[in-house]
Amino acid sequence: MHFIWISVIKDLRRWRRDPFALAVWLAIPLALAVMMNVVFGGGGGPAPRGILLIADEDNTFASKVVAGVFHRDPLDRMLTLEPVQRGEGRRRIDSGDASAFLLIPAGFAKAVNRGEPFRLRLFTNPSQNILPKVIEDTVSITLDVFGTRRAAAGPAIGLEMTVIPVKKQGKSFAALFFPSMLSMAVWMIANALAGEIWKERALGALRRIAVMPVRMAGFLAGKLLSAALVFACVAGTGLVAVRWLGGVPIASLPAAVLWLMLAGTAFYLLLLLVSMSASTQRGANMLGNLVMFPLALVGGCFFPFEVMPAWMASIGRLTPTGWVVTRFSMILDGSVQPAALATAVAGLVAASALAFMVTLVRLRRSFLI
Amino acid sequence: MIEVDQLRKAYGDLTAVDGVSFSARPGEIFGLLGPNGAGKTTTIGCISGLLAPTSGRVRVMGHDVVSEGTAARQALGVVPQEIALYEELSAIENLKYWGGAQGLRNPLLATRIQKVLELTGLEDRAREPVKRFSGGMKRRLNFACGIVHQPQVLLLDEPTVGVDPQSRMRLLELVQAEAQSGTCVLYTTHYMEEAETLCDRLAIVDHGKVIAAGTLTELRSMLEQRDLLRLAGVFQPDAARAAVAPIDHIEVVQADEKLLVLSLVEASRKLPAVFAALEAAGCEVRGTTLTQPSLESLFIKLTGKELRE
Repeated sequence: MHFIWISVIKDLRRWRRDPFALAVWLAIPLALAVMMNVVFGGGGGPAPRGILLIADEDNTFASKVVAGVFHRDPLDRMLTLEPVQRGEGRRRIDSGDASAFLLIPAGFAKAVNRGEPFRLRLFTNPSQNILPKVIEDTVSITLDVFGTRRAAAGPAIGLEMTVIPVKKQGKSFAALFFPSMLSMAVWMIANALAGEIWKERALGALRRIAVMPVRMAGFLAGKLLSAALVFACVAGTGLVAVRWLGGVPIASLPAAVLWLMLAGTAFYLLLLLVSMSASTQRGANMLGNLVMFPLALVGGCFFPFEVMPAWMASIGRLTPTGWVVTRFSMILDGSVQPAALATAVAGLVAASALAFMVTLVRLRRSFLI
Repeated sequence: MIEVDQLRKAYGDLTAVDGVSFSARPGEIFGLLGPNGAGKTTTIGCISGLLAPTSGRVRVMGHDVVSEGTAARQALGVVPQEIALYEELSAIENLKYWGGAQGLRNPLLATRIQKVLELTGLEDRAREPVKRFSGGMKRRLNFACGIVHQPQVLLLDEPTVGVDPQSRMRLLELVQAEAQSGTCVLYTTHYMEEAETLCDRLAIVDHGKVIAAGTLTELRSMLEQRDLLRLAGVFQPDAARAAVAPIDHIEVVQADEKLLVLSLVEASRKLPAVFAALEAAGCEVRGTTLTQPSLESLFIKLTGKELRE
């Protein structure tokens, strides 16, 4: 145990002394969080552009005035107006295909002329923060203008608008992409750490350990534990940052960190084995990338399965990366059952144990010399 | 104590070590002298347990390195040819790691680290990352990592390769100090000067075999106080051999069209006769080198080639 412990300390110290690599590892999830915050969470970025669906069932001069407001600068640079039927508008806003859907029922002009109360309906997309609010305020101001003008000619009228946030469909862009991106960061770190074994071999450190009265399994266990700590640190940093900066909901932070740590460790062992299968350090780098990038691409690390073609997503979910990313997403949105999670963790641990044994044999028998 | 008995290590058809036998005692520096590729590092690999012998037996402090590997390795300290240090870590951190791997614990580990840092003259730079060290400093730290646990048997595989003269002297003094403290030292080198000044006993190896062994005096006696005369020029090998044959106590070690190597007693007195005989045979001498009896000349006598070839 003492040798495992000093091996962990040794590796953590070495990685801490390489601040550039450490910064890159930590910057990846932080950059994701900041990027998502800028794009989806608040100001500072370019003006957003969205779609406003309008079902004008009144089709009168008054109703066209309401719609026409959105053709004026600067709203016309922010919104694309699409006239739709009531049914299509409701379907599209329900599927999250627009920023808002404004329904102007028949009788709007009559109500305005007669000074009768009337109610418009605005359905908004809760996945967007800025544009639905702009639309709501604009419609509200327009109705106020109608009301004020009518009040000058006679009794005040009650023109109102009901804002109906539709039920949230699917995930936000941030929540959709974040699991993929954090998984990709872990993959990349695992690949970089696995390549380090060649550095230790070139130094002669592995041969020096082999002539000492310690077990090579202890050395490998030390490397594994130190890598697991790095994965936990990166996962924790990324998850906390995205939760607080990006506003992405996370059902269980500890479970998500634990899962990513275990998955990272399993990836690390797999890539270590791949790296040691090469005959040169350069070959190891190429082989590692050859394994990592296709698995990451198909396995949902570059793009979430939701945006992939169905056939590709179904293949990707069968890959080790796809299996990990799918369960990671389920942990994040709280849809995973505890029993299923326990089974998945047991599977990951069993796969890691098998990879550990194979890697150890490879290390002892041929990689050392 | 190291006992090597008929050690053989083969890689397929290639035999790197072929029936090597020797023993080294506590307090003794035993040298393995030979050119690159002679089998010195493979022999060290088999003694340290890094390589499994194809046949033969190796014992370290009475423990068989194959069947009692852990016990044998506990007695060993190895200073490898490569600088096996973590460059991001400081000297102290490296010593902590390698000492800890040898089973040392505080406070003994801290005491030993302090001691070896003083011995190697690195105490002022002990907290700096090793990557800032010079080559000589790294070599000294590499040595310190091999002795931090006070091994009974110390294996040194060409520890002075690429080291400046000052650091080399320091390292050789350290090796002598280890032997004086009772450690059994096995020292491999292809520098004959090092072997001559450092080793109590030597084995000269070539092509995986021991071609001569003994103390320095015993090995020199094999040369019968003969000098080595190297003549460069243009020669007809057969004519040159025939020309020098009548000269007393002369032996042709090597003869080709550009080089003639002769082993002879009192060469300086016989030079005029040698030159006259070669001139008469139509040979042209353009350069002459006379070497006193040494391990180098013994190696040339035994193998017909230079140690550094």
